[in-house]
Amino acid sequence: MKALTRFVCYLVLVAMVLTACAPAATAVTEPTKASIQEVTLVVWDVLASPGETAIIEKLQTDFLAAHPGVKIDRNAKSFDDMKATAKLGLSSPDGPDVAQINQGLSDMGALVKAGLLENLTPYAQKYGWDKKISGGLIARNSFSTDGKMFGQGNLYGVSPTSELVGVFYRKDKFEEYGLNIPKTFAEFEDILKTLKEKGETPIVAGGLGGLAATHFYAEILNVYLSDRAYLDDLIFARNDQSWDTEVQQKAAEKLQEWTENGYFTKGFEGTSYDDQGSLLENGDAVMMLAGSWWSSTLAASPISEKFGFFMLPPENEGAYKMTVGGTSPAYAIRANSTKKTLAAEYINWMISESSAKVWANNGTIPLTYVDPSTMPAGSLIADLLTAWNTINQKDEVGHYLDWATPTFWDTLTASLEELMAFKITPEEFTMKLETDYSAYLTSLK
Amino acid sequence: MITLAKGRKILRGTASQSWVAYLYIFPSIAIYAYFILWPIIQTIRLSVFDWDGLTEPVFIGMKNFIELTQDQILHQALLNNLLFIPFFTIFPIAIALFLTALLTRKKVKGFNFFRAAFFLPQVMAMVAVGIVWRWIYNPTFGPLNQTLTFLGLENWTRPWLGDFSFALPAVGLAATWVQYGFSMVLFISGVQHIDENLYDAAKIDGANEFHQFWNVTLPGIRNELSVAMVTSIIAALRIFDLVYVTTRGSPGMKTMVASLWLYRNAFQINRVGYASAIAVLLTLIILVLSYVLLSEGSKR
Repeated sequence: MKALTRFVCYLVLVAMVLTACAPAATAVTEPTKASIQEVTLVVWDVLASPGETAIIEKLQTDFLAAHPGVKIDRNAKSFDDMKATAKLGLSSPDGPDVAQINQGLSDMGALVKAGLLENLTPYAQKYGWDKKISGGLIARNSFSTDGKMFGQGNLYGVSPTSELVGVFYRKDKFEEYGLNIPKTFAEFEDILKTLKEKGETPIVAGGLGGLAATHFYAEILNVYLSDRAYLDDLIFARNDQSWDTEVQQKAAEKLQEWTENGYFTKGFEGTSYDDQGSLLENGDAVMMLAGSWWSSTLAASPISEKFGFFMLPPENEGAYKMTVGGTSPAYAIRANSTKKTLAAEYINWMISESSAKVWANNGTIPLTYVDPSTMPAGSLIADLLTAWNTINQKDEVGHYLDWATPTFWDTLTASLEELMAFKITPEEFTMKLETDYSAYLTSLK
Repeated sequence: MITLAKGRKILRGTASQSWVAYLYIFPSIAIYAYFILWPIIQTIRLSVFDWDGLTEPVFIGMKNFIELTQDQILHQALLNNLLFIPFFTIFPIAIALFLTALLTRKKVKGFNFFRAAFFLPQVMAMVAVGIVWRWIYNPTFGPLNQTLTFLGLENWTRPWLGDFSFALPAVGLAATWVQYGFSMVLFISGVQHIDENLYDAAKIDGANEFHQFWNVTLPGIRNELSVAMVTSIIAALRIFDLVYVTTRGSPGMKTMVASLWLYRNAFQINRVGYASAIAVLLTLIILVLSYVLLSEGSKR
């Protein structure tokens, strides 16, 4: 009898434990049942930082006021988390109606291939989205219906905010040394030389993890490219282009030259990417060649008025030069959502002129045009808006090079680390990139 | 057979009682089977498929395994795993032996405190360890370089986690810091089983502390040593969180490890089938190594 009692108690205990460890509920909470009056839109986005949360809540409040009877069930995720859960969520009938999906083959492309994303071209035409964004931006959110060809076919995503890579600089230091914003690449290199001679670190660099170097290299390459055809072909896998070309070797050489001249932070190889902002703030460097996603961090600094922004200039003043950039992850609509029209309305709201102003007032570049003169003169956001408007209008939005192949991130970052440590020559560098790329092209055939 | 009062007899260890035993362990086995065994079987199954995690898996036979033999990144990763082994085994075990000798031969005040304190790194989450050590190695703000500079050793400063020669040892050092406590606790418990008479005999023969350690203590904890070796080698081959948080495999591929490459393939490059093949390979390596080490250890 004793054994049996013990056994029953044990069973009860185990049952309690099992129910307590129910598998983690999927991040989607059950949407409220759609009643005749109420519809709930499920949104997953990556606007998780406190600043972004405040903005999106405001925008959603306004949206709800203009759409009575609608409720929004919003789930903010980290970038990595979204990548991990998007596939599952979009395959589920209870999943998000709107989700922010990263561009590129392994994210948006894979989802298109699985038939999980709705073709947004009709909505783009209906709402006039195609008038707001340059051809280059439409391309990078487009895929063929089988998800294999990148940069053509149907539009699958539209982003609310934009980003670009350029030079954040210390205005006070520029004044101290009598420097002006360079209009040509040669002028920029003169600035580097002058700053180095004065004992300053010209460009702050946090190389750990490899991200910073990909931007340095891409921007230098952009200086030497006179149109976008070559790079577009490379990224969208068209016309069998090669990475092993003279222009790439030239860019690689230039990067090595800058490293050798000590233009980057001492010990940059082991410095974290996230430290760059603090180093710039401390005056441990004069410029930071990085993305506009730094703008809110710098704007929050106690010395925020000392920061300015300019794009890396072309070889000749006023010439065409792409700038590394793009948009935040794009809003996409789930292919088997039952609320597609509402979802499109939501997206349209998020990229409207009024929403764009909210983003701009909070220091983030929106996708939609905002007049820089409506921002405080000489502010960081005014600089950023001017830059973005220029490249959006001139179709100069350049590429993130790691999009070239699914494994290109590893190849590119590793090769750049070796290049900047002088373990390989520029020729060997471009050869490594080409080996990865040509293997990828072969696999597509 | 046990005879109780009133002559009733209970049979022990016979079939009528053993089914109750199975019922007791059934819940644990059920959980284990569902959360561990089943995914293992699934992984082995997936290794012969090509799957992007979304669309239908495609059967491709041994193609993944053939690709493993040509994958340069994987080869470098496995080499790095090998290079991590000393940092997980030899160095921590040496430190553990030293500390064991210090703590066990004579009564040490605060013994319990020391044992707990030295074990503490094992208890910390690897991610936290990685973040702390990353801070230590920070070239500008980190204590290591600052101390070296303060001591006038500025040319010894390095961008540790980004240095082609020092990144792996730097991460390895963090691993050693985590591992030594585990071996130490094992050895201490092992020493407590060694017969005091052996030490007396050794002393009579004129053995000093070192000789006693070498000839009595070490052989006496042979089993614990082999357990420590096996678990630490497995840890070296499985390493993931530490590398992920500190270097993610950089610079070049100098700290890339098999499990990190597996992770990249499964969740970022969308090649779940290939990643499963890597997992199968890694498991086989670990199984073979464990078998060899354990049978070596028990031979003597």
